[in-house]
Amino acid sequence: MLAQQLANGLAIGSVYAIFALGYTLIFSILGIINFAHGAIFTLGAYFTYTLMGLQFGFNGLLAQQKLPFGLPFWVALLVGAVIAGLFGVFLERIIFRPLRARGADPLLTLVASLGLAVAIVNIIQYLVGAETYSYPSGAALPGAPASVNFGTTEAPVIIRTAQLIIIAVAVLILIVLTFFINRTKTGRALRAVSEDATTSSLLGINTNQLIRLTFFLSGFVGGVAGTLVGLNVGITGPYLGISFGLKGLAVIVLGGLGSIPGAVVGGLLIGIVEALVPASLVSYRDALAFAILFIVLLVRPQGLLGRPLIQKV
Amino acid sequence: MSDTNGLLRIGSLTRAFGGLVAVNNVSFAVNEGEIFGLIGPNGAGKTTLFNLVTGLTPPTSGELYFKGRNITGSRPHQIAKLGMGRTFQNIRLFPNLTALENVMVAQHIHTRSGVLSGVLGLPRDRREEREAREKAQGLLEMVNLADRAQVQARNFPYGDQRRLEIARALALQPKLLLLDEPAAGMNPNEKAGLSTFIREVKEKFSLTVLLIEHHVPTVMGLCDRIAVLNFGQLIALGNPAEVQSNPAVIEAYLGDES
Amino acid sequence: MNDFINTYGFLIISLVLQAILALSMYLPLMAGQLSLATPGFYAIGGYVAAILSVRTFLPASGTTFPEPLQSFVLWLGTVFPATPQGQAFPVSLLLVEMLIAGVLCGLLAIIVGLPALRLRGIYLALATIAFVEIVRVVSLNLPITGGSIGIFGIPQPYPTKFEFAWIAVPFLVIVALFVYRLERVRVGRALVSLREDELAAAAMGINPTYHKVLAFTLGAVIAGACGALSAHFINTWNARQGTFDASILILAYVIIGGSRTWLGPIVGAFLLTALPEVLRGAADVQGIPTFLAQFLKDGRLIIFGLLIAFSTLFFPQGLITPNLFKRRGGSEGER
Repeated sequence: MLAQQLANGLAIGSVYAIFALGYTLIFSILGIINFAHGAIFTLGAYFTYTLMGLQFGFNGLLAQQKLPFGLPFWVALLVGAVIAGLFGVFLERIIFRPLRARGADPLLTLVASLGLAVAIVNIIQYLVGAETYSYPSGAALPGAPASVNFGTTEAPVIIRTAQLIIIAVAVLILIVLTFFINRTKTGRALRAVSEDATTSSLLGINTNQLIRLTFFLSGFVGGVAGTLVGLNVGITGPYLGISFGLKGLAVIVLGGLGSIPGAVVGGLLIGIVEALVPASLVSYRDALAFAILFIVLLVRPQGLLGRPLIQKV
Repeated sequence: MSDTNGLLRIGSLTRAFGGLVAVNNVSFAVNEGEIFGLIGPNGAGKTTLFNLVTGLTPPTSGELYFKGRNITGSRPHQIAKLGMGRTFQNIRLFPNLTALENVMVAQHIHTRSGVLSGVLGLPRDRREEREAREKAQGLLEMVNLADRAQVQARNFPYGDQRRLEIARALALQPKLLLLDEPAAGMNPNEKAGLSTFIREVKEKFSLTVLLIEHHVPTVMGLCDRIAVLNFGQLIALGNPAEVQSNPAVIEAYLGDES
Repeated sequence: MNDFINTYGFLIISLVLQAILALSMYLPLMAGQLSLATPGFYAIGGYVAAILSVRTFLPASGTTFPEPLQSFVLWLGTVFPATPQGQAFPVSLLLVEMLIAGVLCGLLAIIVGLPALRLRGIYLALATIAFVEIVRVVSLNLPITGGSIGIFGIPQPYPTKFEFAWIAVPFLVIVALFVYRLERVRVGRALVSLREDELAAAAMGINPTYHKVLAFTLGAVIAGACGALSAHFINTWNARQGTFDASILILAYVIIGGSRTWLGPIVGAFLLTALPEVLRGAADVQGIPTFLAQFLKDGRLIIFGLLIAFSTLFFPQGLITPNLFKRRGGSEGER
């Protein structure tokens, strides 16, 4: 029983982790929280659905439409995430960069990202309605059983295949991203900028290009996370990303705003803690992440792995 | 030390930022009624010492006494309330408030109007508001800014902002006035006038003045006593003549220039 | 005229209520504190009114609370008697509810604010988002708040929605006058000085914690009382009132209207609350192409979101700036 809950927690936690990575990447570079990230997450799920050549429902401008071709799930996931990443770059170009160029108050940037989130969610609704969509069963691994028993017949530990896929993909993304940030020149430049933007631009690092890259990566991991959640619980409508967007905040604060390992640790922790909530209190589960968020802010605002906040005089 | 009864007494004060010790075991006392100068090369820890004294930065160790009271660990507004006013090296006015409002804010501790009575504009509150306004106007007159009382602080030229900041600090009716590089950014004419101005203000408000200044002729001509900091440590303390002839001071300044 | 009121009565009162909420969020912002807690206090205020007027605080028949709670509940039942079918809810009781809601939210604001307001900038915003979400989930689960269904059939003090103006309009006027005056007196100057430069303000003897908690609490009192009024106005109250979405919306009122003067939040609230209706109205205009009419009707929230996003670029100070009022020497220097 415990093992099973841990597995559930690990699956949802790893989605939290990669989703929160998107937040934290942008925060670490720009010091802003991009509230449109939840909307990009939702877009990712819909992009994959569209690219698989699946048909939309009865509402919205694209009712009953579908692409003339259909990509296999994995290709659609990848292409969908790339489009989500490019969409992030697009948002950066039309809103965030002009705001940055004007030296806008972070508060304004926050409001702008909230406005974008509202717009995106409603564009989705306008195009394809508020219906629930889901990927065909077995889309990811044709022929695989719906679940695997890792225990014995007497003490079963049944884990759904979708959850296994989520964990695997999340781990893969984390490995690739860690490698990219620690081992490549661009990745190291990214880290340098995240640690000190002024110095790095003095060192000749092209900050604008890196910011574009950050928005791409953020959108990409957001899109992947959206598709993974769609695979697990279905695309429940244009508001799919809102609750994730809010929980993601708890994750990055717990891990430490701007800390990449922090986002991973925070995501897994919150996922697991949520999974361990006893059935009698399950309706309070959604408040748990926020209670954690509140307490962490009061006790240790820099989070588990963040740098201490120093106030400049 | 003989002058343990000084208005401000700094005892073995230390402040470290990570590995960097910005102020290292500094002790001295400022006596009532004197103009006390704090000098030293760039990065010697002068401004950090100011921030420690005014409570903006908590000390790593050491003690602070003001008017005989232990103020170590007190918060900035508590220290201000005891009668310590200051200006900032990089000017920290309230940029979107008018000159008059800037000065009026600093009268906060000497006025009492509460939320409700103030909003309702009860007679007592109206009177208090009017008096605060008149007093602020008077202080602006003293620094020659009265004609621009309604201009937002950020629209003042640099030198005027420095003077406005002094007027704001005086509105606190402090016993001790801390000036962080008051001559910075002033032209030679203004600099010459500054010494006279500080002396006048000191007499008029019976102040004690602690000031940081880079411009050595100003300091030497103005201050009764001078403390010299280098790399966070106190290397000399005495009257201008003593300090000027102190070999450690000469070395610190020459070493800085080479 | 009657037609106009029948059609737009609800909208007009909504404008007024939203403007009050905007001022509630503006108060902490005046002291430089980005708090998104307003919808949380609004929700609590609404529940206070709903619980008292629908009498959900009464124990289910047969069950009793331990003393002295039982006596208190029974006493409360006599203060807030059941409203007989077809009769109006007494306005005096509505005012009492607003008072209770305001006081309760004020006390809660002090408890939440004292620790939370040590946080700055985005950290405080996140803590207040957490507060709003916790209030939402808890109200979804408590029996007294009606769980996920909420509380419905909240008794009406007036036969038509438009008549709520008798309370809503004076309420807005009082709050607006309060903020207007506050900006011009000692305490208000202290708040603004914190927004301008907290360290400098502290060095001038302003107690930052006290004034931040004060501004936060004043905002909470206003939001709580506004929630109590809204509960009667909307007639049902549930966990969908006062969510993160509302936080965004109210923040948008303040930022787009202008966050540096009392009039900005009111104008922002009026414009943004009316905008979807205006767009809907525009869709009915004769002679515009069908696709455009369709878009104005169904896609109006898209336009709404984009307007919020792009207005940060085109009106970074908001529509209403203090300089619009005072055309005095020098203040036009920027631009």
